Amino acid sequence: MDKLAEIANYLHAMLGRQSKADSIAWLEQQQSGISSDSPSGFYLAFSTASRFFDKAPLNVNRQDAARACELHPGFSPGHWNHLQAARTYLLLLYPHDNPDKWLATLDKLFETADLHEQEALYAALPLLPNPDLLKLRAAEGLRTNMTTVFDAVALHNSYPAEHLDEPAWNQLLLKAIFLQRPLYQIQGADHRANPTLAQALVEYTHERWAAGRTITPELWRFVGPFLQEKHSGDIQRVLIEGTPLEREAILLACNMSSLSTARQLLQDYPEIQAKIESGELNWEKVGKQSHSTAF
Amino acid sequence: MTENKKRFIDPHIHVTSRTTDDYQAMREAGIVAIIEPAFWLGQPRTQVGAFQDYFSSLVGWERFRASQFGIRHYCAMGLNSKEANNEALAEQVMELLPLYVGKENVVAIGEIGYDDQTAAEDKYFRAQLELAKTVQLPVMIHTPHRDKKKGTSRSMDVCEEHGIDPNLVVIDHNNEETVQEVLDRGFWAAFTIYPHTKMGSERMVEIVRSYGPERLIVDSSADWGVSDPLSVPKTAALMEKQSIPDKHIQLVTYQNALTAYGQSGKMKEADWLEADPVDQRQLFEGNSVLRSQSPKVGYKSSDIVEN
Repeated sequence: MDKLAEIANYLHAMLGRQSKADSIAWLEQQQSGISSDSPSGFYLAFSTASRFFDKAPLNVNRQDAARACELHPGFSPGHWNHLQAARTYLLLLYPHDNPDKWLATLDKLFETADLHEQEALYAALPLLPNPDLLKLRAAEGLRTNMTTVFDAVALHNSYPAEHLDEPAWNQLLLKAIFLQRPLYQIQGADHRANPTLAQALVEYTHERWAAGRTITPELWRFVGPFLQEKHSGDIQRVLIEGTPLEREAILLACNMSSLSTARQLLQDYPEIQAKIESGELNWEKVGKQSHSTAF
Repeated sequence: MTENKKRFIDPHIHVTSRTTDDYQAMREAGIVAIIEPAFWLGQPRTQVGAFQDYFSSLVGWERFRASQFGIRHYCAMGLNSKEANNEALAEQVMELLPLYVGKENVVAIGEIGYDDQTAAEDKYFRAQLELAKTVQLPVMIHTPHRDKKKGTSRSMDVCEEHGIDPNLVVIDHNNEETVQEVLDRGFWAAFTIYPHTKMGSERMVEIVRSYGPERLIVDSSADWGVSDPLSVPKTAALMEKQSIPDKHIQLVTYQNALTAYGQSGKMKEADWLEADPVDQRQLFEGNSVLRSQSPKVGYKSSDIVEN
């Protein structure tokens, strides 16, 4: 069985346990009507799924979650709802042997999608066939002003880190900060950190400070590995003027750096350094705390 | 100012043309849900792609925008009568409509009907009535401003000819001259409170007094013209002052629209009564419509001020 069919079966089984029998019966009936020769049946099924499935969260147990990760690293249906699982199931059934035809259908689906359909489509990106054909689409999704759609591309989604080129990836991070999204929910972010992004974030920080505004402490995570001597003033400023959480964040960033000044500053705060070394203090904790208090 | 716990539905408003100040004022006046029918934009479109993007905004961006103000946004999909006169384009729009009529917030086919009452308008009006039958949706009918009485009768004749249950059809933009026939024939009669060209609110009070509240619906049709997005709550306030019973006011400014369009199966009171409190926080300072405002979190009914 190919990977797509396995993911489709996985979603089907999970919906089967959690949805009404007639909803599942409807979903199964759609299989026969889905053909790439006439996509209209597919478009209709994708839209009308909202009449059969609601937006209750999928109930994903430990075993389901582990299986999801085996099917595709990073796949986390615990953040999905029933309706989007059903829509993703339909997407996975759509024939993809002819990539041009498949892409044309996908484009039409994106172009005519409503709010929740867009969320489902973008969240499904990493699971779809021909993922490299969808890079521009993913970048387009990051330009949206609809926060829930932005989140579908950017958060709990393995596609950006897997496929986006560096400029698009950096836009994702910058816009996520601009929209005040929780950065710890972006997958593969440490792996994709880069000096160009770090430089843009430092400049953004100076701009915010000049305007008398705050920045998210999560930002320092993407600066840490690229800290340079010229940043020591910035680090000092956070250590002196920052909140306790900001101080913890800048020291976590110092801990990611091999710059001797940064290492030295870290040693000046032995209690925090111990918390970092024991794992008690980490970026996820900073992210969670910052998003529970920041607003 | 006394506390006002009244809720209103404006079942016909073109919010695409309105500002965020309007949305805020609407929510403060107690409007909890709106229906935005597809219409023209003040000048005719020349490309089918312009329709596609407009329809997409009615099911996407505008729905999101309304939600930021705690207003549930629904829409009606259709090719309006004015633009039906460009037949080459109309054909392409008809091919596009099936992609949208199944969307979650589409509660009717509309606004459709007659403008000049040409043959082309007639053709696409009928084709869309058939579409409404296929997808089992109510119909919102725009009655013409010119030759209104005849156009209204004719709209109802054609609905009957196509075997559409009058209970599924809202005839809009009525006046004193058309209301009796619409009610007699079993259709819903909507009134647009819109200065100068349509209804004034004082006349509306008299209509409710004369005909009773059954099957009457008040809307604003506020758009890019000189119009008022608070027409519905303002008319309700006037009715209250002029001693129309509360129950009647509730029917014509809330319940009747819900009953008529609720027949779509896609519009339920729970959609707004059980919705999360308004949460604009995620957009604060973000690249959103709330660019430089303080967010208003957690509207409760006690926050609603009297219009």
